[in-house]
Amino acid sequence: MMSIPFFGILAAFLCVFSGQRGAALMLWALSMVGLAVLFRLHATDALNLVL
Amino acid sequence: MIGLLNAPTARLLNALGLLAVSLVLIVAFVDQIAFGDIPCPLCILQRAGFAGASLGLALNVKFGPRPSHYAVVILSAFLGACISSRQILLHIVPGTGTYGDALMGLHFYTWAFIVYLAIILGSAAMLLFDGQFVREEEADAPASGSATSTAATFSLAMVALAALLALANGTSTVLECAGGLCPDDPTGYLLLQN
Repeated sequence: MMSIPFFGILAAFLCVFSGQRGAALMLWALSMVGLAVLFRLHATDALNLVL
Repeated sequence: MIGLLNAPTARLLNALGLLAVSLVLIVAFVDQIAFGDIPCPLCILQRAGFAGASLGLALNVKFGPRPSHYAVVILSAFLGACISSRQILLHIVPGTGTYGDALMGLHFYTWAFIVYLAIILGSAAMLLFDGQFVREEEADAPASGSATSTAATFSLAMVALAALLALANGTSTVLECAGGLCPDDPTGYLLLQN
């Protein structure tokens, strides 16, 4: 699930290569929404601290 | 500031920006693979912010500069800056530790925040030059053929590099986290463990 933003942006890049600007923008927007949701889920992660 | 920056020059500058952002992701990959620094969930999300900013630059390169493409860059960098600032705040109190290795005295999430700010400022500075938004067929002096061809080849190569890095990061994330959320404290690649 954490890879969704990357694959969404990769799909957007493929749209860029194929000349589909609108689809690329839509995929980018969806990827950013996914990124924001994942940030919400991980914002309070306990990290492996180097003390 | 009409006329100081035309569309072909703006495309080239965006391609150079793509190269710079790609270098950031490459350095993170080198640290991950060569030094075994497994990215934490927030680190992965910061990489996704860079990938999003790359897409905006790629849109400028492929379709020509537009304010909406710069908005893609700025919004992606803003989201990435929110994530990196959250990670900085996790460690801002002295004695609360750090995550991962330091590069030239600063940790990767601090560098990420600085680079995101630079991306936002750079994009805002580029938006000052209205001349780049004049349609290229309406521009007065077209660039010479070979120079245009070389710049176009370089630009497309940078777009391909950025796309490849999005694929590499997606694949790395699947290997590390499998199909679900990443472990809060990753110690290895879930899909590569027996």
